[in-house]
Formats: sequence, structure tokens, C-alpha cells
Amino acid sequence: MGEPRSAQLRIDRPGLSCLQDLGRQEGSRIGQMTGGALDQYSAAMANTLVASPSEAPLIELVAHDFAATTDTDLLIAVTGADADVTIDGRPQQQWAPILWPAGSQLAITRIRAGLRVYLGVHGSVRAPHLLGSCAPDTVLGFGAVFAAGEVCHVEVDCPTISQPWFGIPFFRLGARPHHFAGRWDIPITDGPDIAEFGSTVDRLHGHDYVVGPSSNHIGLRLGRTDQGPIPHRQTRTEVLSRGVPIGAVEVPAGDEILILHRGRGVTAGYPVLAVVTTVGLSRLGQARPGDTVRFRPVSTATAIADLRRQQAHLHDVGTRVRTAFTSLASLNSPTRSPLSAPPAPEPHRSPNRWRTA
Amino acid sequence: MSVLVSDCGDAAVRVTFQTDDRNHAWRSAHRLSTWLDTHRDRQQLRGTIATYDAVLVEFDASRTDHDIVRSLIDIALGERIDETSGRPPRQFDVPVVYGGEYGPDLQHVAEQQGLSAAEVVALHTAGPLTMRCYGSPAGAPMLDGPAFPQPVPRLTSPRPHVLAGAVSVAGRQAVVSARPAPGGWCVIGRTPRQLIDLDRTPLVPYAPGDTFRFFPISAGEWADHEGPMHG
Repeated sequence: MGEPRSAQLRIDRPGLSCLQDLGRQEGSRIGQMTGGALDQYSAAMANTLVASPSEAPLIELVAHDFAATTDTDLLIAVTGADADVTIDGRPQQQWAPILWPAGSQLAITRIRAGLRVYLGVHGSVRAPHLLGSCAPDTVLGFGAVFAAGEVCHVEVDCPTISQPWFGIPFFRLGARPHHFAGRWDIPITDGPDIAEFGSTVDRLHGHDYVVGPSSNHIGLRLGRTDQGPIPHRQTRTEVLSRGVPIGAVEVPAGDEILILHRGRGVTAGYPVLAVVTTVGLSRLGQARPGDTVRFRPVSTATAIADLRRQQAHLHDVGTRVRTAFTSLASLNSPTRSPLSAPPAPEPHRSPNRWRTA
Repeated sequence: MSVLVSDCGDAAVRVTFQTDDRNHAWRSAHRLSTWLDTHRDRQQLRGTIATYDAVLVEFDASRTDHDIVRSLIDIALGERIDETSGRPPRQFDVPVVYGGEYGPDLQHVAEQQGLSAAEVVALHTAGPLTMRCYGSPAGAPMLDGPAFPQPVPRLTSPRPHVLAGAVSVAGRQAVVSARPAPGGWCVIGRTPRQLIDLDRTPLVPYAPGDTFRFFPISAGEWADHEGPMHG
């Protein structure tokens, strides 16, 4: 093992960036939002590419240009929306581990074809936690966006990995980026209250919707691009407040549908027309106001199969990362033990047992 | 009573208890929620959200699925659950400054109910109100409403800013705001007590089944009553 080092990462140009993770699962039981990275896939992949646990703290950037300088060599990965990534002006790849040398400046600019970029760092990013998560909660006032000049601390406990022949990481790890072809294709499953909408459900499927300007981490508001009619509830009975899942499609009033995202309040008194799939929610987390969305109905079995394929891909990339890093670590310093990487969780393809406490 | 379990997306099911006995539905929902939270494998079952007549059960669909969760719910519903197993209900005594700038809708509620402002306050402070569930935002305690003659209509246009500690009523319900947020309920008063403190464990001291007893204080006594909620 290398000497433990504490890296200081100075935020030169914060844009709109903060510490983030996959969310606060323990919150919803006591009425708190789950929160966490809106694009869960890209966030998990950024950490996987640098051999950090999926749920570890990382940095999330929203839309705006970002720059930071490190005082220690760091291994990082940049995923999420397409952007220009440079280190001291030299272009770098996204969706792959890259070496960020001490004293150099990382810049992430021109975020496009998506809204959110994730910066994973090998090591432990120091972050305050609430109920086991560093995810910001805007309602509770927990967590904050970075200010210019703010310093983020990272504990690094291993030698930095560099490719021994060219001095740069040079892997083909095959991490798949999101596919964005000018229109977001979003799979949805039928909601538990779909019958209340009668035949107006057809107005949701097969039409183009546009993401409205007031969309945020709490929810996205979308109207038809052709100004056509949206689904409408056919019954008028009182609806009791009930727990609503992330991804719930509701029709509160007016000419927009509402899709709840990770910052949602956990209860609502509106019927649930449909629910965006877990895979679809990561994609929707990249949709910008003005982007076009088309909804594609799928069965829950299909949705789960898609999610498990995505999880298996993350697991495969994680395995390749550990193999590559272990080989390089022994090449770089044969007397040292290989890079210690925390074990990735097993993808449970056929769960068949419950453990009870 | 019939129990309906519906798929709610690829990572949740909703369990609804259908009966005319609202109290029975509520008790059943919270009993199921408590059992699942006590016995769950946290990798598979993410958590439960229990409200008036329903429980949303969220899970990690990469590790389990609807069928397995449904069988777990069947097991839970068949368990004989000891009612005294959870923590005993607590009572929270909540000081409130009623009316004026603290409760801008007190007079409006009084007129709507055909009562005086003092009678509205008397009904709101008459007896302990039971917390039924956590509400949005920030897990505000959703309480049974006071014994007003009629349901209280919501405001025609919601307020963009309602302060933390606001004491409100709507329909047959009452609530205390945990954090500042927009709101469409009638605000009749405000408490100086702080419901949520990020540095405290547990984060939220109240739970469904607890009771809230409100008592009036004057604006001059506000500072004497500032501090965290405790039952």
C-alpha cells in the first residue's frame, strides 16, 4: 500500500456543482426526499471506472462550465452528458479513467447532449453525511453547491496508476455512454391508477412531449409539442395522500404532465398514471428544458430485464477496471501489493431468498 | 377488509387496505410498514412509505422483483403482530401563537365555520390530535383535524412561502410545517418549536400514532418557547 495522502482539489470555477451520491434510501420512511444523482447510471459508472464503490461521494455538475486544480496526482473519470474535458488544455476522454497530474487544471466545458456530468475520483471524497448519504436536500437545507476557491479533500491510499509506457492511462474498458439521438426515448410501465384515465391514456404514448422550463430535480413538467390534449382523469372521487415512487407520472392540472424525480416529496394526493422505469429515469435525468421526449410503454418484466442488463454492464466494467489496475500496479511497483479496490456488489440475477433480521 | 397489491413501476408495489373502517385501514398499513422495516434485507427492500390506507414498498429491482416482494407481504400480513412491540406513542405539547401575522387565516377559518376566532382556537387546543403519517415536504406530521363543524376549504391561491412552524388546517386534517415551503392550507398560527434539527438523532422525533396537544401562547412569550420539539 502507498502512504495515505490527502489530496486537495481546489474548485477554480464552480459553475453549478456539488457533492453527490446515489441518494438517501433511509429518508423516505420518515418523509424525506431520496435525492441523489438524477442520472444514477452515469454516477455509478464514474465511480466504477476509478474502482470506487458505486454509492461513494462524487462531484455532480449541472449545465455550467467547471474547472478545478489538484495538488496531488489523482485518477478520475468523467461521465454523463457530452462535454469538452481538458487537463491543462489537452483534450481527455469521457467514460474512461484518466490521470489528473498534481498542479494541473481540469476543465469541463460546453456540456451538451444532456445536462449533468459526473466526476468520479479514486479515493475517498470527504463529505458531510445525513442519514448515510451526502446527497443535497434542498428542502432540509442540507448540502450546498461549491463556491469558487472552495477546497474538496480526497483521501488517497494507493500509488497513482499510470500506464508505464506512455505515462497515461490507456485502457479500453468499454463503458457504454448514454445514447442520445436528439430525442429521449423513455420507457414507462402502467401506473396503478391507469384505469382512472380511460382512453385518454393514448395521449401519453406515441406523441412527442417537450420538457418545460420549470423542470428540476423534484420533477419534470412536459407538454405536447403539438399542443394536443394530454391524459385526463375520468373520475372525481377524493384521492387520499399516498406514497409515490420516483418516476410517477401525474396529471395535476393544466396542460402539462408531471414526472416526479429523485427530489420528490414522498406522498401526494394525485392518481399515478404511469411510472418511468429505473433505466428511463437515468436518461430523463439528462433531459434539458426544450428537449423532446417520447414515452414507450413496456412491461415491468422488460423494465427489470433492462435494469439488470445495465447493472451487469456496470459489474463487467468494474471487473475489467480491477484487472487492469491490478496489473498496472504490479508493473509500476512490483514490491507493493496491488491496488486495493473495494469489492463490487454481485449483480443478483436470480434472487430467490430473503434474509430476515 | 380486502388488501389490494398493485405494481407501482419496476421498483415498487402499492398495498391498499380497502374497508369503510378508516382506523382499521390505517392501523393495518402502519403495522405492515413496521414489520417490513424491521425484517427487511436492506440491500433488497429499500423502504416503506405508510400513509392513511396504503403502503408503498420500494425495492431494488436489480436484486429482487414484484413476485418476491408480494410473497414477503403475504408473510407479513399473516404474522400475528404484537401491538406493543414498537415504541409507545409520545405526546408533544406544542405552543402556538394564534392569529395576526402568525396565523393570517385564523379569521377566515372562523368566518367559514361560523365561529369566533377564540372558538376556533378552543377547538384546535381542545384535545390531542393523532399523527397519521409523514407528509410532504420534509416529513411534516399529518394530524387528524380538530372537531370543527365543517371541513376547511383550501386557499384559492396557494401561498408561495409558508414558514417552518406554521400551524395549518385543511379538510379534516391539521399539520405543522417542518420546513419552509409553498402551501395551500389555512395558516391559523405558528409555533416557535423547531421540528427538524439536522444535528439531532433521530432526525425527526415524531412518528405516526404520536399525539400533538396545542396550547396558546402570546407573541411576547415566543422567545421563552424556542427550541427543539420533544415528547
